[in-house]
Amino acid sequence: MKYIVDIKCLSVYIKGKKILECIDLKIPRNSIFTIMGPSGSGKSTLLRVINRLIDLIPYAKVEGKVYVFGMNIYNVDPYILRKQIGMVFQTPNPFPHLSIYDNVALGAKLNGVARNKDELDKIVEWALRKAMLWDEVKDRLREPPSKLSGGQRQRLCLARALAIKPKLLLLDEPTANIDPVNTRKIEETLTSLKNEMTIVMVTHSPHQAARISDYIAFLYMGKLIEWGPSSQILIRPRSKLTEKFLRGEI
Amino acid sequence: MTSIPRSDKLFFYALLPFAGIVLSIFILLLKILVENSLPIFIREGLGFITSNIWRPSETNSRIEYYGILSPIVGTFYTSLIALILALPASIALTVFVNEYVPHRFKILIVNLIEVMAGLPTVLYGLWGAFIFAPLLKDYVMVPLNNYFWFIPIFSCKPTTPSTMFTASVILAIMVTPFITSVIREAYEAIPLSYREAALGIGTTKYEYVKIMLTMIKPAILAAVLLGFGRVAGETIAVSMTIGNSFSLSMCLFEPGYTISSLIANQFGNAGFYHYMTYALYGAGFILLIIGLTLNSIGLYILVRWRKSLEET
Repeated sequence: MKYIVDIKCLSVYIKGKKILECIDLKIPRNSIFTIMGPSGSGKSTLLRVINRLIDLIPYAKVEGKVYVFGMNIYNVDPYILRKQIGMVFQTPNPFPHLSIYDNVALGAKLNGVARNKDELDKIVEWALRKAMLWDEVKDRLREPPSKLSGGQRQRLCLARALAIKPKLLLLDEPTANIDPVNTRKIEETLTSLKNEMTIVMVTHSPHQAARISDYIAFLYMGKLIEWGPSSQILIRPRSKLTEKFLRGEI
Repeated sequence: MTSIPRSDKLFFYALLPFAGIVLSIFILLLKILVENSLPIFIREGLGFITSNIWRPSETNSRIEYYGILSPIVGTFYTSLIALILALPASIALTVFVNEYVPHRFKILIVNLIEVMAGLPTVLYGLWGAFIFAPLLKDYVMVPLNNYFWFIPIFSCKPTTPSTMFTASVILAIMVTPFITSVIREAYEAIPLSYREAALGIGTTKYEYVKIMLTMIKPAILAAVLLGFGRVAGETIAVSMTIGNSFSLSMCLFEPGYTISSLIANQFGNAGFYHYMTYALYGAGFILLIIGLTLNSIGLYILVRWRKSLEET
């Protein structure tokens, strides 16, 4: 299977308002695929359709077909789908009632990724190392996440997502609320992960898209304007709208 | 520097008396309660709460004796049983309404729960005493006694429909909407980002609900304490269903008393006796202490939990 996500004429309405309009998109395996666009273009909604978190939004209506790992996402239980898809959100959201360790361990434990304490310890360490957080928290794994800085919390969320050993990782503007040092660490992690999983990231920053993407899709007012290899989109965009966005005019 | 407009000052002074009246009423209430209960505390000492003797005398006030151990124990006992029954029901109702009911029906059910929480308690009492209690006796109490007689709380034969068990069940029915309200508000206050985070790691509905409930654990505890405060003070429905008897029994199928049902039942006669009015004020004072303590702790936990949610 060359494409891990295959979207066919996807439209989304929330309370009758059209948020996405007949999107056709294929996301190649083991790549970093960036969905960029200005605020309100429907990027986060598109991401939430892939793992069906859109189901949480009352009065959301989805039309079209979405295949993830070759399965029609509306023909499988959402939790079976989400077990294979990690997600990191715009605002760091570690569970405040759990320790740093338990935040990372929870998904691995529930999904059966780890069968005993030893395996769990190993996965937690692996995920925290991947998220470049291990050295900073290894001596205080039992502390609550409220003791961490915003950037550290976001890396903890990345570790939590990685601990379920996902085949697909979704990131919704993961660096929007954190400082440049933490942003760089997260970008390094993503680049190092792309051989192990497919990464789909939403961003409104063309610079970030340029730094790490293999492919870029440009979304504007609910429509997919164009998508392709990042070099092509960044250097020779076909659409005037993409050009304008890259120049910071929209 | 800008000065406060005159109209704002007038508005402030217009509001002040109303705020003052509410506070004064509470202080006055406390003063009267303390003043009138002092004679009984002085006369009976600690015996007022540790002995179970209710001995009024019209002719000789010297032999009067009042100890309210049975109503105190009855208050805690029936409240505890009521909460044990109400808590799982409230949690289940919260989860069902939030996770399974379609959005438009949810509003309907939530409103119904709020209406139930606000119904006059005498209605629960009437229904409980005339319809529910006899059914409860025949179909629940008798079978429980027949099959589980070896458990102390079910060990006695139910001879009357009005028992501590009946009162506890009625209290549980009455307090369930209230506890549900508190738990539901907390459940709905969990930010969407945590819900997404929980579902995003591939949880089943059951695992997801477990994470959400663990997150609101302090609010559940607060709901229980506030609920305890409510049932402990509930009067009419309990008076109509508990049997009003000074018994001190572990067995739930015996009639009993609670502090509030004692006051409601005895205040009509109190004028005939020298010390009974003081005894009832004393009982009221103890009820106030119980209610204030439970409500204060409950509210404190709830406020602290809400603050912690805002901080994260």
